[in-house]
Amino acid sequence: MFSWRKLGRVFDPRDVDIDWMKDFAQAPSALVLDDRVRVYFACRPAADSNGQFVSYVAYVDFKRDNLLERINISKQRILPLGERGAFDEFGTNPASVIRNGAEVWMYYAGWTRCESVPFNAAIGLAISRDDGATFGRIGNGPVLSYSFDEPFVIGSPRIRKFNGTMYLWYVAGKRWIRGDDRPEPVYKIRMASSSDGIHWSKHGADLIDSVLEEDECQASPDVFFSKGKYHMFFSYRHTLGFKDRGRGYQIGYASSSDLRAWTRDDAKAGIAVSPDGWDSETISYPNVFDLDGSTYMYYQGNQVGKYGFGLARLEADS
Amino acid sequence: MGSGWPAWKPTRNGQMFMKWKKLGKIFDPTDHALPNGCVEFAQSPQALVCTDFIRVYFATRQRDAIGKYVSHIAFVDFDRRLSRILGVSKHAAIEVGGLGAFDEHGIFPMSPVRDGDRVLAYTTGWNRKVSVPVDSSIGLAISTDDGRSFQKFGTGPVVTTSLHEPFLIADAFVALRGGTYHMWYIYGTAWAGDPPERVYKIGHATSADGVAWEKEGRQLIADRLGSSECQALPTVIHFDGCHHMFFCYRRQFGFRTDREGAYRIGYAFSDDFANWTRDDARAGIDVSPDGWDSDMQCYPSTFECDGNIYLLYNGNEFGRRGFGAAMLER
Repeated sequence: MFSWRKLGRVFDPRDVDIDWMKDFAQAPSALVLDDRVRVYFACRPAADSNGQFVSYVAYVDFKRDNLLERINISKQRILPLGERGAFDEFGTNPASVIRNGAEVWMYYAGWTRCESVPFNAAIGLAISRDDGATFGRIGNGPVLSYSFDEPFVIGSPRIRKFNGTMYLWYVAGKRWIRGDDRPEPVYKIRMASSSDGIHWSKHGADLIDSVLEEDECQASPDVFFSKGKYHMFFSYRHTLGFKDRGRGYQIGYASSSDLRAWTRDDAKAGIAVSPDGWDSETISYPNVFDLDGSTYMYYQGNQVGKYGFGLARLEADS
Repeated sequence: MGSGWPAWKPTRNGQMFMKWKKLGKIFDPTDHALPNGCVEFAQSPQALVCTDFIRVYFATRQRDAIGKYVSHIAFVDFDRRLSRILGVSKHAAIEVGGLGAFDEHGIFPMSPVRDGDRVLAYTTGWNRKVSVPVDSSIGLAISTDDGRSFQKFGTGPVVTTSLHEPFLIADAFVALRGGTYHMWYIYGTAWAGDPPERVYKIGHATSADGVAWEKEGRQLIADRLGSSECQALPTVIHFDGCHHMFFCYRRQFGFRTDREGAYRIGYAFSDDFANWTRDDARAGIDVSPDGWDSDMQCYPSTFECDGNIYLLYNGNEFGRRGFGAAMLER
């Protein structure tokens, strides 16, 4: 059982006046720097005349010795959208970063728009040579795309490195369901591994059992190693009606000794919605990281991060 | 090779050409009842030689509820001289994909290849998009009844977008050689213009099992019309000690209305499967002065049957009124 102490919301996009960061601060992902913690997130300018959004990657810096004190924010876009017809023409959301020598590599889900379903997604790679301030693509296509057993909606990447091997945890769409407003995808957590971060081998199986329903949606698998085993915090929700109370995202938990066989036990996650406030309806997209002897979790709150993300500190994991 | 040097063998001196005898249009879709209520189009004919007949798969078109085309794969069986039609399939050979799938809005074309007792079909699946009309990927379907029906290998594609091939993966042709599966296919390099038109080039990939493919990652065939030339539908055949590739090529713009910009059949040859020398003049086939293939020739496919080498292809309007054949003069 993990026990988290909530430290409150640390970033609300309504507190800054940046036109491409008007709404949402989704899927926080931390990169520890010398004097600060840089937290990447996905944000959106105002919707277009058809009510449709694009999404960009941004970051906000917090003081390393005081994670509640914001000291910097990305004022310019750090990664442009993809070219016409490409997998990431209409959005980059979410992003996950990792140090690779002198570079910072960012894996992100790119979004495109389709006719019969609203969108599709695949995972791209962009690289920074200025300590994560700006990123550039190394190609116009994705590094992790569709396959015979993962037909669409490849998204929600989290990049990690264990024992010299790079791992991507991500989600893969299984099917589209016709909802009341529009089709909604069902997606499950999957894994791929790589020796170079560019050529990936898919594990090819769902990692996490579903508990809500067969069509449970799972997202944002965030894995770390502690006390002899691997831990995964992730998000899960109902596929349809997820904007209704009780059907939206919650944070789940699973553990594994070998990264392949996972035992789900959401009761151990130790974090749930608050009685009121910014994270009282849904919490999701956890990102767990160690810093100077403590373990922290960033996560997004109500309305899938429309009003920002917060921070919690691990108090106990007995 | 001495005196046995065949007339069509590519040589460096530029004197020798292949020569094809045109057999004319051999199939008109409007003469037959086609699956799914399809009326026009018999595109990208590709042959599977069977014991007593030649089965030719082609893509035909249906209008959907919003008036857009959906391509379906059907087949027609000919005698082994391509002189007589024995029958036309009553059902689509492969179902199009479900909601959101890569092949939801059509399959065109399909390329059959025998692999032991099975027939593998590499399909190009189409899905419609918003900022550009479509995207595509290559799927696999498998037949265990000699090509009469195919079951999909998964709901997703086996070859799709990758880091340096961002869209429009299509037109697979697969051959087995020395235990390795070779695929020639096309990949998109750009969308440009308003409305957007695509550019695509011919690439090559290999596989040990026909499912997991490794792309070579380079443009295989040199451009003749510049970097915006579109190259499509490679087909490879080996005879007389040489690998021959036919394909079609066109300009990026004006290819529907301008005869000069329309598809023509191109040609390249290779001694080693790796390096290809393009020389369209050696293709030995060109548009006719008039008739069904006078403005355009596209979607070539070669095969051998009873010692003869055939070329199937489409003519004007991308095969709206059917396909024809030619036989190599030897």
